[in-house]
Amino acid sequence: MLMKTEAAEAFRVEKLTVDYGGNHGPLQDFSLSIRQGEVTCLLGRSGCGKTTLLKSLGGFVVGRDTGGVLFEGRYLNGPTPDIVMIFQENNLFPWLTVRGNVEFGLKFKPRSQRRGDVVDEMLRIVGLSDAASRYPHELSGGMRQRTAIARALVSDPHVLLLDEPFSALDISLRRRMHALVLELWEKTSMTMVMVTHSIEEALQVGHRVVVLGNRPAKVLIDANTRAPAMKDRYSPEFLALQQRIESVIY
Amino acid sequence: MRGGRDAMRSAAPWVVGVLSVSLVLGLWEMAGLREWALASVLPPPSQFLSSIAQSDFRIGLGSQAATVTESLTATFFRVFVGMAVAFVAAILTGALLSLSRLATWALSPLLQLLAPIAPIAWIPTAIVVFGINDVTAIFIVFMGVYFILTLATLAEIRRIPPEFGTVAGNLGATPLQRWLWVTLPAILPGVFVLLRTNFIAAWMAVLVAEMVGLRDGLGAIIMMGRNLFNNELVMFGMVVIGLTGFIVDRLLQFIGQRILWWRV
Repeated sequence: MLMKTEAAEAFRVEKLTVDYGGNHGPLQDFSLSIRQGEVTCLLGRSGCGKTTLLKSLGGFVVGRDTGGVLFEGRYLNGPTPDIVMIFQENNLFPWLTVRGNVEFGLKFKPRSQRRGDVVDEMLRIVGLSDAASRYPHELSGGMRQRTAIARALVSDPHVLLLDEPFSALDISLRRRMHALVLELWEKTSMTMVMVTHSIEEALQVGHRVVVLGNRPAKVLIDANTRAPAMKDRYSPEFLALQQRIESVIY
Repeated sequence: MRGGRDAMRSAAPWVVGVLSVSLVLGLWEMAGLREWALASVLPPPSQFLSSIAQSDFRIGLGSQAATVTESLTATFFRVFVGMAVAFVAAILTGALLSLSRLATWALSPLLQLLAPIAPIAWIPTAIVVFGINDVTAIFIVFMGVYFILTLATLAEIRRIPPEFGTVAGNLGATPLQRWLWVTLPAILPGVFVLLRTNFIAAWMAVLVAEMVGLRDGLGAIIMMGRNLFNNELVMFGMVVIGLTGFIVDRLLQFIGQRILWWRV
């Protein structure tokens, strides 16, 4: 089956079924299109299949043959360096310094694709230049996630997948990380897909918020949140959408 | 004065430790001063040290005599080579078992059958196969630690967070690269901790091998003392074994804390 995809489409999920061998899998005949250069946030109750969907987008989970995930027009059948995933924890190798962890992003690239200064540049962008020689256990949770983001970005992927990356952080740190993600997006216009539990986080960071309903997953709300009013936690638009999402999730 | 109190607190274990060892040594010496039968079985340090010093720390008869340093070197060589070979072999076996299911089916019954055989039980066979030499001793040490380290390697591999492998694969590492750059550094500290724990087993194994088979090394000193009814020699051998074992354990602890310090 050859499908033409629009230029502006990064992923097309087509009738994806992931059941991990059982009958009631999290994803059944699930379809969704994810646009290029957009930050898409996936919301939903625990176990609704949003993390499975994210893993499928990264090629870490491959569904049944009946459907699949098209990435830049091709079927995805495994992980690729073009799509880099960041987890909630255990992103960093404890035996490497911050710099070593970031350099790990380039380690398996051909030499011609490595730029020597890119590591320093990324450390500067995420604000870790002064912590470059520290080890992960000497860092705060926020610094660890910033290191993981820097490592993902030095490998120059097309897509960044974030699996509840800031859930372990306190609220003020989390807001600073939101600002960092938006700043990075301003610089790179990279396609990002983020799974989160926090409605506020989704509305703050996302250009588009997709709310998934329970097993099998289906799209309950698909909202455009690009408008400036959506970035103001106290605006009527923000509160109205927040309420609408709460009413379908809880 | 807080600094002084902190210094006292950190020095306290040392002070008490040295005092307790001194107390035992003092009692031992006092027992030696009396005409007790105990003194001939347990000659105190002042006695056996002076009599060993009289023979220039050379132990043995005539041309076969070896200095204490030579015995120490021989024992250390055997223990360290045996442990190093076992460490590398265990990690390679663990890698093979974790990568191939066929290898697991083929090798794990063998490992489980061989693991309970005490290293000492291998001594007669080893002497027949390798002869009375270093290889026998190294083999005994190897048998004493290899199996437990292999099991430790497998346990450590299972403990690695799944994210680690995903991250490396995601960044383009091949399975071999993933093993080399992620699995290996992730398991090394944990396996090394077990190596240190099992150093005592290796140490005992090589001493027994030296007692019953080989003619040199620290174990042989004790055996010679026994054969000559020389309790001073036996005591001397025991003290050297205790002291060096303690020093090596501290050395391994230092490596564990300074070189392989990270925890996964």
